[in-house]
Amino acid sequence: MRRFNWKLIAQVTGVLLLYLAAGLLLPLVLSIYERDGMQFAFAVSGMLILMAGLFLRNMVGGKAEYRLRQDESYWLTVAAWVVMPLFGALPYLFTGVTQSFTDALFESFSGFTTTGSSVIRHPEELPPSILAYRALTQWVGGLGLLLFVVALLRRLGLGAGSLYEAEFSGTQQRKLHPRLAQSVTRMWTIYGLLTATLWGLLMVQGVGLVDAFCTACSTVSTGGFTTHSEGITALGVHPTSTVTVFMFFSGVNVAILYRLFTLRWRHLWRDGELRTYTLLFVCSVALCTTAFFLEGNGFSDSLHFSIFHIASTMSTCGYHMPVPTHWSFVVSVLTFVLIVIGASAGSTGGGIKLRRIIIMVKYIANYLTRMIHPNVVFHVKVNNEVVESDYINKVFAFVFLYIVFIIGGGFVLTMCGCSIPNAVCMAAANISNLGPSPLINTMGGSLDYAVLPHVAKWTLTLLMLAGRVELFALLAVVSPAYWRLRLPKARRG
Amino acid sequence: MLMVEGLMILSCLIPAFHFGDGTWRGITLSGLFTLNVGLLMLVRYHSARTMHDRRLAYLLVVLMWIVLALFGAIPFMATGVLTSFTDALFESMSGITSTGATVFASVEWLPSSILLWRSMTQWFGGFGIVLLVLALVPSMGINKYSLYTAEASGADNTGKQTTSTASTVRQTLGVYILLTLLFVFLLCKSGMQLWDAVNITFTNISSGGFSIYNDSLSHLTHLQQYIVALAMLLSGVNFAMLYNLLTFHWDRLRHKLEQFRFYIGLYLVATVFVAIALSTHMGYSAADAARLSIVQTASVLTTTGSLVADTSYWWVPVTYLFVILSLCGGMAGSTTGGLKAMRVLILIRHVRKILRDRLHPHAVNPVRLNRTPVSSHLLTNVMVIFMVYVMVIFAGVMMLMLCGINATESIGAAIACITGYGPGLGISGGFGCYAHFTTAAKLICSLIMLLGRLECLTLLILFIPSFWRR
Repeated sequence: MRRFNWKLIAQVTGVLLLYLAAGLLLPLVLSIYERDGMQFAFAVSGMLILMAGLFLRNMVGGKAEYRLRQDESYWLTVAAWVVMPLFGALPYLFTGVTQSFTDALFESFSGFTTTGSSVIRHPEELPPSILAYRALTQWVGGLGLLLFVVALLRRLGLGAGSLYEAEFSGTQQRKLHPRLAQSVTRMWTIYGLLTATLWGLLMVQGVGLVDAFCTACSTVSTGGFTTHSEGITALGVHPTSTVTVFMFFSGVNVAILYRLFTLRWRHLWRDGELRTYTLLFVCSVALCTTAFFLEGNGFSDSLHFSIFHIASTMSTCGYHMPVPTHWSFVVSVLTFVLIVIGASAGSTGGGIKLRRIIIMVKYIANYLTRMIHPNVVFHVKVNNEVVESDYINKVFAFVFLYIVFIIGGGFVLTMCGCSIPNAVCMAAANISNLGPSPLINTMGGSLDYAVLPHVAKWTLTLLMLAGRVELFALLAVVSPAYWRLRLPKARRG
Repeated sequence: MLMVEGLMILSCLIPAFHFGDGTWRGITLSGLFTLNVGLLMLVRYHSARTMHDRRLAYLLVVLMWIVLALFGAIPFMATGVLTSFTDALFESMSGITSTGATVFASVEWLPSSILLWRSMTQWFGGFGIVLLVLALVPSMGINKYSLYTAEASGADNTGKQTTSTASTVRQTLGVYILLTLLFVFLLCKSGMQLWDAVNITFTNISSGGFSIYNDSLSHLTHLQQYIVALAMLLSGVNFAMLYNLLTFHWDRLRHKLEQFRFYIGLYLVATVFVAIALSTHMGYSAADAARLSIVQTASVLTTTGSLVADTSYWWVPVTYLFVILSLCGGMAGSTTGGLKAMRVLILIRHVRKILRDRLHPHAVNPVRLNRTPVSSHLLTNVMVIFMVYVMVIFAGVMMLMLCGINATESIGAAIACITGYGPGLGISGGFGCYAHFTTAAKLICSLIMLLGRLECLTLLILFIPSFWRR
C-alpha cells in the first residue's frame, strides 16, 4: 500500500496559487492605470500568494508521484477549494474594503464558489480594480478550479479522470473529446468565448469597460456579484436583456454549449436535460408572470421581471433587480424550489442539478407504477441511456444530504436571530451558490450580509463550500468513517 | 370499520346523558346513521371480496379513511358546535389521523360528549395507523412484517415472530388497550378526575394531541405532566417491541434495538438542548426548563402535539428544532407520524454507505440495520417516501400560500399536518388554533393530514393513470 500522496496535493494547490498570483496582475495593472491607490495592496498580496504557491509547489510538493487515488482526489478537491479562497481573501484584507477577517473570507469564498453573496453594501463606491478582482475570482471558480490543472497535469493519467469527476462529481459529465486534456481545453475555450462575447456585446451597448468586464465574468460563471447596489438594471435596459439571455445559457451544460458553437444544432434538442431546462424555464416564467399579474402588477412589468428573475434563479446566477410593487408569495415558493433544483449538470451553476432531479422524478413515477404492477421491469432513462440503480441510489443519497445541509444550516442561522423562513431560504440560496435572491428580502431578511453575526457568516461560508464541492467530497474529508478506513493503511505505509 | 365508529359515537352518549348537556339527540342520530351505512358497506364489501386485488386494496384504504373522516364530522355538525362543514371535516380529519390540529379557539365550552368524541377519534386513529401498515405494506413488495414487526430485512428469517396478521393485530390491540388502562389508572392515582384521565390518555397514547383544556398540559400538575410524557414516549415505541417486552420475550428485542436507540438518543440530545436553550434564553429556572423540555420534546418527537406551555413564544431555534424533530417522528410501527426513526436511520446509513463506496469502490458495503443487510426493496421504499414527503411539503406550502397565508404559518401548518404534530408556527402554533384559515386552506390541510397518515404513496398512487386502466 502506497503512502498518502500529500506531496501531489500540495503541488497542485501550489500551482493553483501561482495562477492566482498571475491573475492578480490584472487588477494591479488596472489599479496603476486608474490610479485608485490600491496597487500596493495588490502587489503585496500577489507577492505573498506567489511565495506561498512556490513554497507549496517546490518545497512541500517536491518530486511528487503522479498518481492519485480516489480518497486523495477528495482531499485535493477540498484543499483547492479551501486554500484558493483563503489566499484570495488577502487583497480584501490589504485594501481594507472589508471590516474584518471573517468578512474578507466570506467575500472571497462567495466569489470563488460563484455564490455572489456580498458584505459590501455599495459596490459602486469600490475602486474598479477591486471590482475587477471580485469578478475575476468568480470567473476562475465558475468552471471549477481543478479543471485548470487537469490540462496541465497530463502525466496524471487515470488520476486526472478522477479529478475531472470530482469537479463534476456524480453527474456523469460526458467528455467532449476522448482525451481528457483536449476536452478540458475545449471547455475553457467555450467558456472564454462566451465571456468575451458578452463583454463585447455589453461594450457595444454602451456599458463602461470595467463594468462590462465584471458583469460578463459574473454572468457567465453564474456568480452574481454586481457593480451597482441597485442591481443589474443600473446598466440600462438593453444590457439587462443581454445579460438575461447569457444567464439562461450559463445554466446549460458546457458540453451542449460546445455543440451550439460548433453548429451541430441537430443534436442539441435531443438532450433531455436541455429540453427539461427549457420547459421548466418557460413554465416557471408563465406561472411567475401570472402570479404577479394577478397580484395587480402591470403585465409587461410582470413578464420582464419574471423572465429575468427565473433566468437568474435557474442558472443560480443570483442577480437582482427591483421587484414589482406587489410581491406574490407563490413566486417565493417557486423560487425556493428552483433554487434547490439548480442548473443543469456540467454547467457553471450550482444546486442539486436538473439531471439528478429528472432521474429522481422518473424513478418515483416508476416506483408508483411498480406498486400497482409489481412484476413490471422498469428502467430510468436519460437521453435514451439506462441509468444504473447504483447511480440512482447515489442521487437519492445526495438529495437527502442536500436537504439535511439546508435544514442544518438553517438551524444555526435561526440561532443567530433569523426567522425560520428567512434562515431556510438563506441556507438554500448559499448552498446552491445563488447568493442574493429577492426571496430572502421578501422573507424578512436582508441581502446585505454585512449585518449578520460572524457565526452566521461562517455557516454560510461553509454551506457555499459544501455546495460547490457537492457535499460528498467535504463529508468524506471530515467523516470519522473515512479516517477509520484510511489511518491503519497509512501506518502500514 | 364504520360499525365500530358508530358504536363509538353511541358510546359518547354516556357522558352526554351523564352530564345532561342536551347534545344526546345529535349524537344518537349520527351514531345510528353511521352504523347503518357501516352495515350497508359490509354487505357490499362481502360481495366485492372476490375481486379483491392490489389496486382495490389501495382504493379501499384511502376510501376508508376519507369515509371515516366524513362520518366523524357528523357529530360536530349534528350537535351544532361547528356550523361549517369544512371546519367539521378538518376537526374530524385531524382526529382520525391523530394530528391534533384544531379549529376551536377555546375547547372548554364544548359539551363533554363532543370532547370525548374528539379524544376517541384520536384513540381510534392512533390504532388505525398500525392496522394500516399491516394492511398495506405487503402490497408494496416489502415483506409483510418488515416495517411493522421486526428488523428491516423481514421477520421470516428469524421464524419466531407470529406469522398471521390476525394474531399480530390482536397483540397490538392488546398492548394498546393495556397501555391505555395503565395510564388512565396512573393519572387517576396522581389525583386526576376519571373524566380528565380518560380523555388525556386517549389523546396522548395515540400521539394525537387534542386537549380538553385550552392550556393543554399546563393545566396539569408536574407529576401528571411527567406521566403524560411517559405515555407519549411509549406511544412512539414499536408495538411489537412493547409486546415482546411485556411477554418477556427479551431475546426478540434486539431486532429493533438500533432503531430504539436512535429514537431515545435523539430524544435525549434534543431534550438537553431544549433545556439549556430554555434556561439561557427564556429565563426559566433550571427545574422548570428541565420539566418543560422533557415533556414538550416527548410531545414533539412522537408528533403528539400536546403543549406544556405556549411554545409559539419560545426561542426561534427551539421551535425550528421542534419542526425537525416532528419530521423524524417515533419508531416505525408505533402510533406516531413523521418519517419514523427507522427511515431516518436507514437514510443516514445509506449516505455513509455511499461515502464508503466512493473511497473503496470494490468493497461490499451493504446498508445494515441491526447487523442485517437492508433489502434493496426497503431501501428504495424509504428513499421514495422521503422524497415524496419533501415534495408534498413543498406543494402544501405553496398551496397554503396561494390561500393567502403567510410564509411562516404555511411552512408550520404543512409540516404539522403531514407529520401529525398539530400545532403549527405563528398564530396556528402554541395555544392558538387554525380557525383563521380560509376554507380552502383548511381543506388543503385536511388533505395533507391524510397524505401524511397514509405515508403519501398510498394516496398518490390513485393519481397514476395506469391505476385506473384495465
